[in-house]
Amino acid sequence: MIGLLKYLKGYVRIKVWGFSPERFMNLCGNRDILLWDIVKDGDACYMSISLQNFYKLRPIVKKTGTKVAILQRCGLPFLIPFLSKRKIFILGLCLTVAFWMISSLFIWDIEISGNYQITEDSFMTFLEEYDVRVGMRKEKLDIQSMEKEIRRAFPQITWTSAKLSGTKLLIEIKENDAPIITATVEQTQGSDLVAEYDGKITAMIVRKGVPKVGIGDEVTKGTVLVEGSVPVYNEDATVREYTYVDADADIVLEHIRTFRARLPFDYVSKEYTGRTKKKYYLRLGEKEFRTPEDRPFLLYDSLIKESRPLLFDKLSIPIYFGCYTHREYQNTEHEYTLDEAQRILNEKLNTFLISLDEKGVQIIEKNVKIDTNSGTWVIEGEFLVQESIGVSTTILKEDTGENNIDESDFQEN
Amino acid sequence: MKKKDKTPKKELFMESLQLPKDICMGALRITMTGNTEAWIENYKGILEYTEHTILLQAKTCQVCFEGTRLSVDYYTNEDMKISGCICNVRYL
Repeated sequence: MIGLLKYLKGYVRIKVWGFSPERFMNLCGNRDILLWDIVKDGDACYMSISLQNFYKLRPIVKKTGTKVAILQRCGLPFLIPFLSKRKIFILGLCLTVAFWMISSLFIWDIEISGNYQITEDSFMTFLEEYDVRVGMRKEKLDIQSMEKEIRRAFPQITWTSAKLSGTKLLIEIKENDAPIITATVEQTQGSDLVAEYDGKITAMIVRKGVPKVGIGDEVTKGTVLVEGSVPVYNEDATVREYTYVDADADIVLEHIRTFRARLPFDYVSKEYTGRTKKKYYLRLGEKEFRTPEDRPFLLYDSLIKESRPLLFDKLSIPIYFGCYTHREYQNTEHEYTLDEAQRILNEKLNTFLISLDEKGVQIIEKNVKIDTNSGTWVIEGEFLVQESIGVSTTILKEDTGENNIDESDFQEN
Repeated sequence: MKKKDKTPKKELFMESLQLPKDICMGALRITMTGNTEAWIENYKGILEYTEHTILLQAKTCQVCFEGTRLSVDYYTNEDMKISGCICNVRYL
């Protein structure tokens, strides 16, 4: 601290020699002149003295008959005249400091971590809707309410933590690993189960509702399998009223699924000629600057590589630089050989089978053939499958007045 | 004879009032840490200064610091600091 003060005020290192340097020191002491780092070397004394006090030395020097010489000038007062000659440098220095100070008032980068299900894009879109964006003032950001809003907007986020690190907004989130149990809306209206395909029923377990078909029945698409309106009978076996439930049942239907895929004989593929052109660009926020260019090649695709310089790891400014690599290519036509066509079509079939398997569909019989047909390879397959079916549909209530009438009848009885 | 009588009386007075002697009688005050540093207060001036000897004038006596590589870190009217390897402090 004292060192800094000395530097700010400026000091000189002097050499004192002559009749009696000790007397010189005593007189300095008497006049409240601070001397430090006094070293004696032979006849001469070397010492430091503040610039202000140095001007008071003349009478002492005269009185003692010593000689004083300046060896070194240190401190800010000696730097200022040096700097004043370099006005542009000073201006640049001031502008840099100002730029730093002003730019540190804004958020220049938003980083999200811990997201697996939620994509960064959707998160960014949400943040933009919430008016949190790159380039906003730090003061305007209310971290607490933003965290709350994130948890509200994304129910799968169980924990959020946002913090400002320099000019960077770091948002850490934790997503719920367990599936979200959304409260199912109580369907008071009731619902029927309806067949999705034509086929034969092979198994049936009804949990709720009235079954309308039995095992071994042939059904068509749209047939009601289980009815959601459960009749309540009077003693004389007449229907008193209907209670409506959501029909629930495991019904396995045997039906035929078909699969058909086509593959043209020939295909076009890109063949790179090896010729590339590079173009560099600079991007400030959303604005992009690049050198004007003509169409580099007749046919080409481009690779974009972008990087961002970071100042001192903390201060991130939205300046990006990158380069386009244009690669020339030619379209060449090829024809599939039988083996290739078979391989590709089989892959397609496999993905179809896997998708069936994922749905829990059991295959009983299969019949697949590969054929050619008007310039294309065609794969056709017929599968006899067993799968659980049933689509909920709301019940169309025919007469709603029935209940009231029945109730009034009951009261009379 | 009068002067001789005066001093003990003054000292007696100081002791009875328990006043610090360095202030009232102008005694030299030396604080040393090990043999490398010494802070000196209440001196009149510096009489001799070399690398091996520093001779100071106090109100009542002279003090000589002897050693090697002696240097004065700072020097004001009130106090000073001597650093170096001090071997000997002598009152003359």
